[in-house]
Amino acid sequence: MEQQRTIQKRVRYLEEKAKEVRVEIVKMIHEAQSGHPGGSLSAADIMTALYFDILRIDPNKPEWPDRDRFVLSKGHACPVWYACLALKGFFPIETLKTLRKFESKLQGHPIAGKAEGIDASVGSLGIGFSQAVGMAIEAKMTRSKYMVYTVLGDGETNEGIVWEAAASAHKYHLDNLVAVLDRNNLQNDGIAEQIMPMEPLDEKFKAFNWHVIQINGHNMADVVDALMKAGDYSGKPVIIIANTEKGKGVSYMENVRGWHGKPPNDEQLAIALEDLKGSLK
Amino acid sequence: MNLEKASKPTRRGYSDRMLEYGSIDKDFTVFDADIGYSTYACLFGEAFPERYFNMGIAEMNMVSAAAGMANSGRTVVVSSYGVFLTMRAVEPVRSFICYPNLNVKLLSSHGGLTAAIDGVTHQATEDIAIMTTFPNMKVLCPSDPKAAEKLFDVSMQTPGPFFTRLMRDPLFDVYGDDEEFVLGGSKTLRKGSDITIAAYGDIVFQALEAAELLTAQGIDAEVLDLYSLKPYDKEAVLASVKKTGAMLVAENHQAKNGMGYEIAHLLLKHCPVPFDNAGLEDMFAESGDYPSIIHKYGLSAEKLAGRAAAVVQMKKEN
Repeated sequence: MEQQRTIQKRVRYLEEKAKEVRVEIVKMIHEAQSGHPGGSLSAADIMTALYFDILRIDPNKPEWPDRDRFVLSKGHACPVWYACLALKGFFPIETLKTLRKFESKLQGHPIAGKAEGIDASVGSLGIGFSQAVGMAIEAKMTRSKYMVYTVLGDGETNEGIVWEAAASAHKYHLDNLVAVLDRNNLQNDGIAEQIMPMEPLDEKFKAFNWHVIQINGHNMADVVDALMKAGDYSGKPVIIIANTEKGKGVSYMENVRGWHGKPPNDEQLAIALEDLKGSLK
Repeated sequence: MNLEKASKPTRRGYSDRMLEYGSIDKDFTVFDADIGYSTYACLFGEAFPERYFNMGIAEMNMVSAAAGMANSGRTVVVSSYGVFLTMRAVEPVRSFICYPNLNVKLLSSHGGLTAAIDGVTHQATEDIAIMTTFPNMKVLCPSDPKAAEKLFDVSMQTPGPFFTRLMRDPLFDVYGDDEEFVLGGSKTLRKGSDITIAAYGDIVFQALEAAELLTAQGIDAEVLDLYSLKPYDKEAVLASVKKTGAMLVAENHQAKNGMGYEIAHLLLKHCPVPFDNAGLEDMFAESGDYPSIIHKYGLSAEKLAGRAAAVVQMKKEN
């Protein structure tokens, strides 16, 4: 009973935090007048759960050797990553206003060493996933206890390297690797399953000897539960296929193709903030 | 210059040293793409199985996973053939190794037409153009097994990414145990006063032989071994050209965008002299035995001697 209440409290806290993350996403993309809102918003609940509940990290010690590693393989969705890092205290919230601007540490696609908390450079789809595999091999080789987490896009699974990486994660028994697939079923040009049919994704990963968990990626209780189970799973790498909605939380962006890489204008920002404020209640 | 037949190719020299170095430096790892028995990286794998990762025939994933491990600061050697490292895996090499300036050392076998017999798919004839273009990348090309051993050490002891071009087949030994090799260095293998022939890798031997052929025509050629291609020894090149007043750059590579273009640019700025560069003339080669192939494509000693004599003639007519 007590434990149940504690979990409910955690989930409520994370739900509120996810709203803050979404607000920062739309504000920073509006400020930059450039960036990728749709896939940032679809991954917001997953990222919030990771950064505010799951990852063993310390914003005051970004280079702490035993920290859990995180790689946003769908690097174009970095506004959600930057928002989580700023809200967690890796750098000031004010920094978010510099996204994509001249001499900012918040590059259009994230670069290791530029901003605190970025463990790997990303932005070219599939390659972040492979880097996460390399990082998990490193952890196994050095018998380190930390975990490696990565978030992939569903369009990203079109890339052949994703399957090369999936095979190598099985070879090295990387049960210290947890991938989350942000299955929002929209990519740049349209509906993911029409651009390139990848289903059955669960069966594909199972066939590559991964342990597969499927959830609703916007149900915070499910997200936390899946991430906890994935972290404890031994013997195989784990992928959580999280069914999500692109643009989640902003009324006019939800499941609309055009919001992959387009910034809101002033009026649209006001509506977005109103939508997110409404959802805060 | 009487040269000893080499007992092993440069790919073996590099990998033999990597095996020795594995006991000296216990931290570095090696990634392979099912080609270890060809690059001889397998020797390291047999001695240090816990530090050797064979990622299968998947070069892009191998290079990216190596970058993932090198993100920790660890030095990682990545073994493959030049065509695959510089083209199939080119994007992770550029964006995820060179850009973050990681300690990844690319062991690149089958450079140029030294893989003549394997045909065009296995002949890396654009590798130097691609690799020298990336910021932070340093590029080496040993001509003999001893140089390969020494340059392995240079790459391991210098931070950042390295690309080392190696050869498939054994050619000759030129260097003794006490030769010193440094990043940005070169070797003057033959002194001469009429023309400088600058070469690297296997073509160093053709250049030396060309210099012998040229003596019959009364031409005294100086031969430079540019074992370090990026950075390269600009001082030595300029000093030699100021003395000889003529330059032929010869390389087992496309004539376009290789060291010939690089040195032409240097000379235009600082010391314009009669100049030519030999390489593949905007064309692919083919399968065949190495001597026949390099002769057909203009890189044999005989062909280089002809090119050099023409440059010397230009100097006389100037």
